[in-house]
Amino acid sequence: MKAIVVIGEADNVGNAIEDICTGESVVYTLNGKTQELKAMGDVPFGFKMAIKDIAVDAPVVKYGEVIGVASKPISAGECVHIHNVAGNRGRGDLKGAK
Amino acid sequence: MEFQGYVRPDGKVGIRNYTLILPNGRGIGVLADQVAKLVRNSKIFIPPNENGRDSEDRATIARTIVGLAKNPNVGAVLIMGIKSNGGYPEFTREAMVDEIYATGKPVDSVFLEDCPGGAYEALGKALLKARHLARKASECRRETVDLGRLCMGVKCGYSDATSGMAGNPTVGYLFDRLVEAGGTAMFAETTEVIGADHIVARRFNDDKQRETFLAAVKRVEDEAKATGEDIRTINPIPANIQAGLTTLEEKSLGAIAKSGHMPLSSSLRYGEIPAGPGLHFMDSWMSSATLFLGFAAAGSALSIFQVGGGWFPDRMMMPTASAGLVTPTLYMTGNPRTYAKTNMDMDFSASEIISQREPIEQAGERLVQRVCELASGHLTMGETLNVDDNVEIYLRGPGL
Repeated sequence: MKAIVVIGEADNVGNAIEDICTGESVVYTLNGKTQELKAMGDVPFGFKMAIKDIAVDAPVVKYGEVIGVASKPISAGECVHIHNVAGNRGRGDLKGAK
Repeated sequence: MEFQGYVRPDGKVGIRNYTLILPNGRGIGVLADQVAKLVRNSKIFIPPNENGRDSEDRATIARTIVGLAKNPNVGAVLIMGIKSNGGYPEFTREAMVDEIYATGKPVDSVFLEDCPGGAYEALGKALLKARHLARKASECRRETVDLGRLCMGVKCGYSDATSGMAGNPTVGYLFDRLVEAGGTAMFAETTEVIGADHIVARRFNDDKQRETFLAAVKRVEDEAKATGEDIRTINPIPANIQAGLTTLEEKSLGAIAKSGHMPLSSSLRYGEIPAGPGLHFMDSWMSSATLFLGFAAAGSALSIFQVGGGWFPDRMMMPTASAGLVTPTLYMTGNPRTYAKTNMDMDFSASEIISQREPIEQAGERLVQRVCELASGHLTMGETLNVDDNVEIYLRGPGL
């Protein structure tokens, strides 16, 4: 059983504090309640795992704040990183950026 | 909580006692360099050339020069220059030389224009005066003072997820304690509040200071967009991305934890001395080559480099030893793996928060203790090296 840390009540991601492999059972504690899910991908130490499904363009929430949006559909248990998340701020690459 | 520090004529307290060789312009640098090499326990800052720079950048250079002289870790100052009046309004004798003499510290000066023998006479005069200043500085004794007499700065770097979870909150606890005790605390890195700027903005008491802060954030975000690139390809840096941080917003939300919970008194320019105690934001680039110098000019006696380090290879030596010039750097990490790889170079670990579920408050109290030890004379690992890092002032304008 591997642990992840979920920081804010409204967060939809948790942080791995140990290396997690696909298929492993993962637990986190939020508001005193322990929840369990299965790793749908490898999540190395320091990386994030989705604890809920996140739809394309839906916000990724950590620390109770929006840290970006899903750029691909994300299932609970998947690793969340640059391959499936885009930032909102400082986007000079977007058309109409001023 | 107390430490033993050097109480200066202006009442500020230093934790080291350097003789500062301080050129008022780059032109005297070759001579100044030689004086600094010969005088024990001296530090030297050779400024960039102020010629052809706009008023804002000139003011930044002048502020850094004068601020270093005022830093409480400086026991005595030898000003050197080709002329005592540098020419630009920010570099006149009144604005710079007189201002440094006004600190009340042992100060002396040598200007080439006053030496009939030119550079060769100036070199000898400067060496003699510097040696006398060094001896005068050594007469200052440490006294027991309260933690609240300290001024500190913090930079977080090589951030990873542990920065926001462990390392930065530990610094935040320290800063809460420092400010509660009447001390002065500074954090910075304007790019790395983007995404958390609304949270920081709420904490300003003064509307004008809040506007200054938000204007700085807007300026940096506009500069980012003007590159035509996604800022994620620039900052977060590769070391952050490879360690698991995904967006600038995520990095910033973890970064602001280092500021603790106290209200913000002001938004400072680079190298600007805070008008009073409390917590302050400094509008500055995040690079360690510039920021620790900026904190030193603003009066920081001890600056923290809070490292994530997920990207570090094994047994990595820390990238800077003395980037604060007169201000030592306390290296710490909240990442147990980083600590295991680099503990020989670290001054503090907050990694027990993750590896042993240590409460943040407990790690914070340990950090307060460590700060008092280093302030009282324990060396940081960086200070065990005879290294003077290449440091630069954060300048924004064009070269004209």
